[in-house]
Amino acid sequence: MRLLLVAATLLMLVGITWALLAAPTEVFQGLPQRIMYLHVPAVITAYSALLVVFAASALYLWTRQARWDRLAHGAAELAVLFITATLATGAIWGRPVWGTWWSWDARLTTTLILWFIYVGYLIVRAWAPGSRGARAAAVIGIVGVLDIPLIHWSAIVLRTLHPQPTVFRPEGPALPASMLPPLGINLAAFLLLFAALLLLRVRQERTLARLVERLEGA
Amino acid sequence: MRTIRLLVAKDLRLEWRTREITTTVGLLALLLVIVLAAVRPEPAAAASAMWVTYAFAATLGFTRAFALERDHLTGLRLAAADGGVVFLGKALVNWVLLAAVQAASLPAFGALFTEAALARAGALAAPLVLGGVGLAVVGTLFGGLIVQARLREALLPLLMLPVALPVLIAATSATAALLDGAPLRAVGGQLQLLVAFDILFVTASWLLFEFVLEE
Repeated sequence: MRLLLVAATLLMLVGITWALLAAPTEVFQGLPQRIMYLHVPAVITAYSALLVVFAASALYLWTRQARWDRLAHGAAELAVLFITATLATGAIWGRPVWGTWWSWDARLTTTLILWFIYVGYLIVRAWAPGSRGARAAAVIGIVGVLDIPLIHWSAIVLRTLHPQPTVFRPEGPALPASMLPPLGINLAAFLLLFAALLLLRVRQERTLARLVERLEGA
Repeated sequence: MRTIRLLVAKDLRLEWRTREITTTVGLLALLLVIVLAAVRPEPAAAASAMWVTYAFAATLGFTRAFALERDHLTGLRLAAADGGVVFLGKALVNWVLLAAVQAASLPAFGALFTEAALARAGALAAPLVLGGVGLAVVGTLFGGLIVQARLREALLPLLMLPVALPVLIAATSATAALLDGAPLRAVGGQLQLLVAFDILFVTASWLLFEFVLEE
Protein backbone atom coordinates (compact mmCIF):
# COMPACT_ATOMS: atom_id res chain seq x y z
CA MET A 1 0.00 0.00 0.00
CA ARG A 2 2.87 2.37 0.86
CA LEU A 3 4.40 1.51 -2.47
CA LEU A 4 1.13 2.37 -4.21
CA LEU A 5 0.89 5.70 -2.40
CA VAL A 6 4.49 6.61 -3.29
CA ALA A 7 3.96 5.62 -6.92
CA ALA A 8 0.69 7.60 -7.09
CA THR A 9 2.36 10.69 -5.60
CA LEU A 10 5.35 10.55 -7.95
CA LEU A 11 3.17 9.99 -11.01
CA MET A 12 0.87 12.82 -10.00
CA LEU A 13 3.81 15.21 -9.57
CA VAL A 14 5.11 14.31 -13.03
CA GLY A 15 1.62 14.41 -14.57
CA ILE A 16 0.64 17.77 -13.10
CA THR A 17 3.97 19.39 -13.90
CA TRP A 18 3.74 18.14 -17.48
CA ALA A 19 0.12 19.26 -17.77
CA LEU A 20 0.90 22.75 -16.45
CA LEU A 21 4.25 23.44 -18.11
CA ALA A 22 4.83 21.21 -21.11
CA ALA A 23 1.42 20.46 -22.56
CA PRO A 24 0.26 22.83 -25.34
CA THR A 25 -2.32 25.53 -24.58
CA GLU A 26 -5.67 24.93 -26.23
CA VAL A 27 -6.48 27.60 -28.85
CA PHE A 28 -10.12 28.36 -27.99
CA GLN A 29 -10.35 27.67 -24.27
CA GLY A 30 -6.91 28.90 -23.24
CA LEU A 31 -5.44 28.04 -19.86
CA PRO A 32 -8.66 26.82 -18.18
CA GLN A 33 -8.53 23.80 -20.49
CA ARG A 34 -5.63 22.44 -18.41
CA ILE A 35 -8.04 21.46 -15.64
CA MET A 36 -9.03 18.64 -17.99
CA TYR A 37 -5.88 16.82 -16.81
CA LEU A 38 -7.49 16.51 -13.37
CA HIS A 39 -11.15 16.40 -14.35
CA VAL A 40 -11.02 13.45 -16.74
CA PRO A 41 -8.89 11.19 -14.48
CA ALA A 42 -11.15 12.06 -11.53
CA VAL A 43 -14.33 11.11 -13.36
CA ILE A 44 -12.87 7.87 -14.72
CA THR A 45 -11.66 6.96 -11.23
CA ALA A 46 -15.08 7.81 -9.77
CA TYR A 47 -16.93 5.54 -12.19
CA SER A 48 -14.34 2.77 -11.65
CA ALA A 49 -15.03 3.09 -7.93
CA LEU A 50 -18.77 2.70 -8.61
CA LEU A 51 -18.10 -0.49 -10.55
CA VAL A 52 -16.14 -1.79 -7.56
CA VAL A 53 -19.10 -0.91 -5.29
CA PHE A 54 -21.46 -2.76 -7.64
CA ALA A 55 -19.34 -5.89 -7.91
CA ALA A 56 -18.45 -6.01 -4.20
CA SER A 57 -22.10 -5.44 -3.17
CA ALA A 58 -23.30 -8.27 -5.40
CA LEU A 59 -20.55 -10.56 -4.08
CA TYR A 60 -21.49 -9.65 -0.52
CA LEU A 61 -25.16 -10.51 -0.99
CA TRP A 62 -24.12 -13.73 -2.69
CA THR A 63 -21.37 -14.96 -0.33
CA ARG A 64 -22.14 -13.03 2.90
CA GLN A 65 -18.44 -12.57 3.54
CA ALA A 66 -17.78 -9.35 5.47
CA ARG A 67 -14.68 -8.61 3.41
CA TRP A 68 -16.78 -7.84 0.31
CA ASP A 69 -18.88 -5.49 2.38
CA ARG A 70 -15.78 -3.67 3.60
CA LEU A 71 -14.55 -3.39 0.01
CA ALA A 72 -17.92 -1.94 -1.13
CA HIS A 73 -17.96 0.50 1.78
CA GLY A 74 -14.43 1.78 1.11
CA ALA A 75 -15.07 2.08 -2.62
CA ALA A 76 -18.32 4.00 -2.03
CA GLU A 77 -16.55 6.53 0.18
CA LEU A 78 -13.91 7.06 -2.49
CA ALA A 79 -16.55 7.23 -5.20
CA VAL A 80 -18.18 10.14 -3.38
CA LEU A 81 -14.77 11.77 -2.95
CA PHE A 82 -13.86 11.51 -6.65
CA ILE A 83 -17.36 12.52 -7.81
CA THR A 84 -17.00 15.63 -5.63
CA ALA A 85 -13.63 16.35 -7.25
CA THR A 86 -15.19 15.85 -10.69
CA LEU A 87 -18.07 18.23 -9.99
CA ALA A 88 -15.76 20.85 -8.44
CA THR A 89 -13.17 20.85 -11.25
CA GLY A 90 -15.97 20.81 -13.83
CA ALA A 91 -17.64 23.85 -12.30
CA ILE A 92 -14.34 25.74 -12.10
CA TRP A 93 -13.72 25.00 -15.79
CA GLY A 94 -17.30 25.77 -16.79
CA ARG A 95 -17.28 29.29 -15.37
CA PRO A 96 -14.65 30.79 -17.77
CA VAL A 97 -15.37 28.51 -20.75
CA TRP A 98 -19.17 28.15 -20.75
CA GLY A 99 -19.77 31.33 -18.76
CA THR A 100 -21.70 29.36 -16.15
CA TRP A 101 -20.84 27.19 -13.15
CA TRP A 102 -23.51 24.67 -13.93
CA SER A 103 -25.70 23.46 -16.77
CA TRP A 104 -28.32 20.71 -16.90
CA ASP A 105 -26.33 18.67 -19.31
CA ALA A 106 -26.72 14.88 -19.40
CA ARG A 107 -23.26 14.10 -18.01
CA LEU A 108 -23.42 16.74 -15.30
CA THR A 109 -26.89 15.69 -14.20
CA THR A 110 -25.93 12.01 -14.08
CA THR A 111 -22.82 12.70 -12.01
CA LEU A 112 -24.66 15.00 -9.61
CA ILE A 113 -27.47 12.49 -9.05
CA LEU A 114 -24.92 9.72 -8.47
CA TRP A 115 -23.37 11.93 -5.81
CA PHE A 116 -26.75 12.08 -4.04
CA ILE A 117 -27.35 8.34 -4.36
CA TYR A 118 -23.98 7.38 -2.89
CA VAL A 119 -24.13 10.01 -0.15
CA GLY A 120 -27.44 8.32 0.71
CA TYR A 121 -25.55 5.01 0.72
CA LEU A 122 -23.06 6.42 3.24
CA ILE A 123 -25.87 7.81 5.40
CA VAL A 124 -27.55 4.42 5.53
CA ARG A 125 -24.21 2.89 6.54
CA ALA A 126 -23.81 5.47 9.28
CA TRP A 127 -27.32 5.02 10.68
CA ALA A 128 -27.74 1.30 10.34
CA PRO A 129 -24.61 -0.48 11.50
CA GLY A 130 -24.13 -4.23 11.48
CA SER A 131 -25.23 -6.79 8.92
CA ARG A 132 -28.64 -5.19 8.38
CA GLY A 133 -27.02 -1.92 7.33
CA ALA A 134 -24.56 -3.84 5.20
CA ARG A 135 -27.39 -5.59 3.35
CA ALA A 136 -29.35 -2.36 2.87
CA ALA A 137 -26.23 -0.63 1.59
CA ALA A 138 -25.48 -3.48 -0.81
CA VAL A 139 -28.95 -3.18 -2.34
CA ILE A 140 -28.51 0.59 -2.76
CA GLY A 141 -25.02 0.07 -4.21
CA ILE A 142 -26.41 -2.27 -6.87
CA VAL A 143 -29.50 -0.22 -7.67
CA GLY A 144 -27.46 3.00 -7.98
CA VAL A 145 -25.26 1.56 -10.71
CA LEU A 146 -28.25 0.05 -12.55
CA ASP A 147 -29.76 3.53 -12.53
CA ILE A 148 -26.79 5.16 -14.35
CA PRO A 149 -27.97 4.53 -17.95
CA LEU A 150 -31.52 5.63 -17.08
CA ILE A 151 -30.39 8.86 -15.43
CA HIS A 152 -28.21 9.56 -18.43
CA TRP A 153 -31.04 8.84 -20.86
CA SER A 154 -33.47 11.02 -18.90
CA ALA A 155 -30.98 13.87 -18.87
CA ILE A 156 -30.65 13.66 -22.66
CA VAL A 157 -34.34 14.60 -22.71
CA LEU A 158 -32.85 17.90 -21.56
CA ARG A 159 -30.23 19.52 -23.81
CA THR A 160 -26.58 18.50 -23.94
CA LEU A 161 -23.80 21.08 -23.79
CA HIS A 162 -20.88 19.04 -22.47
CA PRO A 163 -17.92 18.44 -24.81
CA GLN A 164 -18.24 15.06 -26.47
CA PRO A 165 -15.73 12.40 -25.40
CA THR A 166 -12.35 13.15 -26.99
CA VAL A 167 -10.27 10.22 -25.76
CA PHE A 168 -12.39 7.08 -25.51
CA ARG A 169 -14.16 7.00 -28.86
CA PRO A 170 -14.56 4.18 -31.33
CA GLU A 171 -12.65 6.24 -33.96
CA GLY A 172 -9.64 6.70 -31.65
CA PRO A 173 -8.57 9.72 -29.59
CA ALA A 174 -9.35 13.15 -31.05
CA LEU A 175 -7.05 14.86 -28.59
CA PRO A 176 -3.70 16.10 -29.98
CA ALA A 177 -0.97 13.55 -29.28
CA SER A 178 0.94 16.08 -27.16
CA MET A 179 -1.95 16.20 -24.67
CA LEU A 180 -2.19 12.46 -24.20
CA PRO A 181 0.92 11.69 -22.08
CA PRO A 182 0.11 14.03 -19.16
CA LEU A 183 -3.51 12.87 -19.25
CA GLY A 184 -2.46 9.23 -19.20
CA ILE A 185 0.04 9.79 -16.39
CA ASN A 186 -2.55 11.61 -14.30
CA LEU A 187 -5.12 8.90 -14.96
CA ALA A 188 -2.66 6.25 -13.78
CA ALA A 189 -1.83 8.38 -10.73
CA PHE A 190 -5.52 8.79 -9.82
CA LEU A 191 -6.24 5.10 -10.22
CA LEU A 192 -3.20 4.19 -8.09
CA LEU A 193 -4.27 6.70 -5.47
CA PHE A 194 -7.74 5.17 -5.48
CA ALA A 195 -6.28 1.67 -5.07
CA ALA A 196 -4.02 2.82 -2.22
CA LEU A 197 -6.80 4.62 -0.34
CA LEU A 198 -9.19 1.71 -0.90
CA LEU A 199 -6.65 -0.71 0.52
CA LEU A 200 -6.10 1.59 3.48
CA ARG A 201 -9.81 1.87 4.27
CA VAL A 202 -10.43 -1.86 3.89
CA ARG A 203 -7.51 -2.58 6.24
CA GLN A 204 -8.78 -0.07 8.79
CA GLU A 205 -12.25 -1.59 8.74
CA ARG A 206 -10.81 -5.09 9.02
CA THR A 207 -8.74 -4.09 12.04
CA LEU A 208 -11.81 -2.49 13.57
CA ALA A 209 -13.90 -5.61 13.01
CA ARG A 210 -11.19 -7.79 14.59
CA LEU A 211 -10.90 -5.44 17.53
CA VAL A 212 -14.64 -5.51 18.14
CA GLU A 213 -14.56 -9.30 17.88
CA ARG A 214 -11.75 -9.54 20.49
CA LEU A 215 -13.46 -7.15 22.87
CA GLU A 216 -16.72 -9.02 22.62
CA GLY A 217 -14.91 -12.30 23.12
CA ALA A 218 -13.06 -11.05 26.19
CA MET B 1 -50.73 -15.15 -7.74
CA ARG B 2 -53.10 -16.04 -4.94
CA THR B 3 -50.57 -14.91 -2.34
CA ILE B 4 -50.20 -11.55 -4.03
CA ARG B 5 -53.99 -11.16 -4.12
CA LEU B 6 -54.25 -11.99 -0.42
CA LEU B 7 -51.46 -9.58 0.51
CA VAL B 8 -53.01 -6.78 -1.50
CA ALA B 9 -56.49 -7.47 -0.14
CA LYS B 10 -55.16 -7.47 3.43
CA ASP B 11 -53.42 -4.10 3.04
CA LEU B 12 -56.29 -2.48 1.18
CA ARG B 13 -58.84 -3.71 3.73
CA LEU B 14 -56.68 -2.37 6.53
CA GLU B 15 -56.41 0.96 4.75
CA TRP B 16 -60.14 1.02 3.99
CA ARG B 17 -60.98 0.56 7.68
CA THR B 18 -58.52 3.10 9.09
CA ARG B 19 -58.14 5.43 6.08
CA GLU B 20 -54.90 6.60 7.70
CA ILE B 21 -52.76 6.91 4.60
CA THR B 22 -55.53 8.13 2.30
CA THR B 23 -56.50 10.95 4.64
CA THR B 24 -53.01 12.22 5.45
CA VAL B 25 -51.58 11.80 1.96
CA GLY B 26 -54.72 13.10 0.24
CA LEU B 27 -54.75 16.23 2.39
CA LEU B 28 -51.02 16.77 1.85
CA ALA B 29 -51.51 16.48 -1.92
CA LEU B 30 -54.37 18.99 -1.88
CA LEU B 31 -52.32 21.36 0.25
CA LEU B 32 -49.36 21.10 -2.13
CA VAL B 33 -51.57 21.82 -5.15
CA ILE B 34 -52.88 24.95 -3.45
CA VAL B 35 -49.47 26.17 -2.30
CA LEU B 36 -47.91 25.59 -5.72
CA ALA B 37 -50.85 27.21 -7.50
CA ALA B 38 -50.75 30.24 -5.19
CA VAL B 39 -47.08 30.75 -6.03
CA ARG B 40 -47.32 30.26 -9.78
CA PRO B 41 -50.77 29.60 -11.25
CA GLU B 42 -49.67 29.52 -14.92
CA PRO B 43 -50.47 26.55 -17.16
CA ALA B 44 -46.73 26.25 -17.94
CA ALA B 45 -46.07 25.32 -14.30
CA ALA B 46 -48.78 22.63 -14.21
CA ALA B 47 -46.68 19.59 -15.15
CA SER B 48 -43.89 20.25 -12.66
CA ALA B 49 -46.44 21.09 -9.92
CA MET B 50 -48.19 17.78 -10.58
CA TRP B 51 -45.03 15.68 -10.25
CA VAL B 52 -43.74 17.59 -7.22
CA THR B 53 -47.07 16.84 -5.57
CA TYR B 54 -46.98 13.14 -6.51
CA ALA B 55 -43.37 12.74 -5.39
CA PHE B 56 -44.05 14.30 -1.98
CA ALA B 57 -47.29 12.38 -1.51
CA ALA B 58 -45.49 9.17 -2.47
CA THR B 59 -42.63 9.59 -0.02
CA LEU B 60 -45.06 10.25 2.82
CA GLY B 61 -47.40 7.40 1.89
CA PHE B 62 -44.72 4.81 1.24
CA THR B 63 -43.07 5.21 4.64
CA ARG B 64 -46.42 4.30 6.15
CA ALA B 65 -46.89 1.20 4.01
CA PHE B 66 -44.07 -0.63 5.75
CA ALA B 67 -44.39 1.05 9.12
CA LEU B 68 -47.65 -0.86 9.27
CA GLU B 69 -45.67 -4.05 8.88
CA ARG B 70 -42.79 -3.26 11.21
CA ASP B 71 -44.01 -5.41 14.05
CA HIS B 72 -45.31 -8.07 11.72
CA LEU B 73 -42.33 -8.49 9.43
CA THR B 74 -41.76 -11.88 10.99
CA GLY B 75 -45.29 -12.84 10.00
CA LEU B 76 -44.66 -11.76 6.41
CA ARG B 77 -41.42 -13.70 6.42
CA LEU B 78 -43.02 -16.84 7.81
CA ALA B 79 -45.86 -16.68 5.33
CA ALA B 80 -45.09 -19.16 2.61
CA ALA B 81 -44.23 -16.39 0.17
CA ASP B 82 -40.84 -15.51 -1.22
CA GLY B 83 -39.45 -12.00 -1.20
CA GLY B 84 -40.42 -11.31 -4.80
CA VAL B 85 -44.09 -12.02 -4.10
CA VAL B 86 -44.16 -9.81 -1.00
CA PHE B 87 -42.52 -7.08 -3.06
CA LEU B 88 -45.11 -7.30 -5.84
CA GLY B 89 -47.97 -7.20 -3.32
CA LYS B 90 -46.58 -4.18 -1.50
CA ALA B 91 -45.71 -2.33 -4.69
CA LEU B 92 -49.21 -2.92 -6.04
CA VAL B 93 -50.81 -1.49 -2.88
CA ASN B 94 -48.50 1.52 -3.00
CA TRP B 95 -49.33 2.10 -6.64
CA VAL B 96 -53.09 1.86 -6.04
CA LEU B 97 -52.82 4.48 -3.28
CA LEU B 98 -50.67 6.77 -5.43
CA ALA B 99 -53.03 6.36 -8.41
CA ALA B 100 -55.94 7.31 -6.16
CA VAL B 101 -54.09 10.49 -5.15
CA GLN B 102 -53.29 11.23 -8.80
CA ALA B 103 -56.90 10.76 -9.89
CA ALA B 104 -58.32 12.73 -6.97
CA SER B 105 -55.99 15.69 -7.45
CA LEU B 106 -56.52 15.99 -11.21
CA PRO B 107 -59.64 18.20 -10.84
CA ALA B 108 -57.66 20.51 -8.54
CA PHE B 109 -54.95 20.88 -11.17
CA GLY B 110 -57.66 21.45 -13.76
CA ALA B 111 -59.27 24.20 -11.70
CA LEU B 112 -56.12 25.97 -10.52
CA PHE B 113 -53.62 25.51 -13.37
CA THR B 114 -55.03 24.51 -16.73
CA GLU B 115 -58.27 22.95 -17.88
CA ALA B 116 -56.20 20.70 -20.16
CA ALA B 117 -55.51 18.58 -17.06
CA LEU B 118 -59.09 17.34 -17.27
CA ALA B 119 -59.72 17.68 -20.99
CA ARG B 120 -56.68 15.54 -21.79
CA ALA B 121 -57.06 13.10 -18.89
CA GLY B 122 -57.17 10.15 -21.30
CA ALA B 123 -53.77 10.87 -22.83
CA LEU B 124 -52.33 11.93 -19.45
CA ALA B 125 -53.15 8.47 -18.08
CA ALA B 126 -50.09 7.09 -19.90
CA PRO B 127 -47.39 9.14 -18.09
CA LEU B 128 -49.38 9.13 -14.84
CA VAL B 129 -49.62 5.34 -14.74
CA LEU B 130 -46.10 4.58 -16.01
CA GLY B 131 -44.52 7.24 -13.77
CA GLY B 132 -46.68 6.19 -10.82
CA VAL B 133 -45.52 2.59 -11.19
CA GLY B 134 -41.90 3.75 -11.25
CA LEU B 135 -42.32 5.78 -8.04
CA ALA B 136 -44.21 2.95 -6.34
CA VAL B 137 -41.54 0.38 -7.24
CA VAL B 138 -38.58 2.46 -6.05
CA GLY B 139 -40.51 3.56 -2.97
CA THR B 140 -41.42 -0.01 -2.07
CA LEU B 141 -37.86 -1.27 -2.49
CA PHE B 142 -36.33 1.47 -0.34
CA GLY B 143 -39.27 1.56 2.07
CA GLY B 144 -38.69 -2.11 2.83
CA LEU B 145 -34.96 -1.56 3.08
CA ILE B 146 -35.11 1.08 5.79
CA VAL B 147 -38.21 0.01 7.69
CA GLN B 148 -36.02 -0.96 10.65
CA ALA B 149 -33.72 2.07 10.44
CA ARG B 150 -33.90 5.06 12.69
CA LEU B 151 -35.07 8.27 11.00
CA ARG B 152 -36.71 6.35 8.16
CA GLU B 153 -39.13 9.20 7.41
CA ALA B 154 -36.12 11.37 6.60
CA LEU B 155 -34.19 8.62 4.85
CA LEU B 156 -36.82 7.52 2.32
CA PRO B 157 -36.95 10.73 0.26
CA LEU B 158 -33.15 11.01 0.43
CA LEU B 159 -32.76 7.58 -1.12
CA MET B 160 -35.82 7.45 -3.32
CA LEU B 161 -35.84 10.81 -5.08
CA PRO B 162 -32.36 10.64 -6.68
CA VAL B 163 -32.93 7.09 -7.92
CA ALA B 164 -36.41 7.99 -9.18
CA LEU B 165 -35.16 11.15 -10.91
CA PRO B 166 -35.36 9.61 -14.43
CA VAL B 167 -39.05 8.90 -13.75
CA LEU B 168 -39.70 12.45 -12.60
CA ILE B 169 -37.86 14.03 -15.55
CA ALA B 170 -39.46 11.84 -18.21
CA ALA B 171 -42.94 11.97 -16.70
CA THR B 172 -42.85 15.74 -16.18
CA SER B 173 -41.66 16.34 -19.71
CA ALA B 174 -44.33 14.03 -21.18
CA THR B 175 -47.05 15.58 -19.01
CA ALA B 176 -46.03 19.10 -20.04
CA ALA B 177 -46.13 18.20 -23.73
CA LEU B 178 -49.53 16.50 -23.43
CA LEU B 179 -50.99 19.46 -21.51
CA ASP B 180 -49.69 21.63 -24.33
CA GLY B 181 -51.85 19.69 -26.74
CA ALA B 182 -49.21 17.39 -28.25
CA PRO B 183 -50.44 13.96 -29.42
CA LEU B 184 -49.43 10.83 -27.54
CA ARG B 185 -47.05 9.94 -30.39
CA ALA B 186 -44.95 13.05 -29.70
CA VAL B 187 -43.96 11.82 -26.23
CA GLY B 188 -43.00 8.29 -27.32
CA GLY B 189 -39.40 8.79 -26.21
CA GLN B 190 -40.36 9.74 -22.66
CA LEU B 191 -42.87 6.89 -22.40
CA GLN B 192 -40.21 4.44 -23.61
CA LEU B 193 -37.89 5.63 -20.87
CA LEU B 194 -40.65 5.18 -18.28
CA VAL B 195 -41.38 1.65 -19.51
CA ALA B 196 -37.66 0.78 -19.45
CA PHE B 197 -37.33 2.14 -15.91
CA ASP B 198 -40.39 0.22 -14.70
CA ILE B 199 -39.20 -3.06 -16.22
CA LEU B 200 -35.63 -2.70 -14.91
CA PHE B 201 -36.68 -1.78 -11.39
CA VAL B 202 -39.48 -4.30 -11.07
CA THR B 203 -37.02 -7.03 -12.08
CA ALA B 204 -34.19 -5.79 -9.86
CA SER B 205 -36.43 -5.27 -6.82
CA TRP B 206 -38.12 -8.61 -7.33
CA LEU B 207 -34.72 -10.30 -7.25
CA LEU B 208 -33.28 -8.21 -4.42
CA PHE B 209 -36.28 -8.19 -2.09
CA GLU B 210 -35.31 -11.54 -0.59
CA PHE B 211 -32.31 -9.79 0.98
CA VAL B 212 -34.41 -6.81 2.05
CA LEU B 213 -36.82 -8.88 4.14
CA GLU B 214 -34.16 -10.98 5.84
CA GLU B 215 -33.72 -10.57 9.58
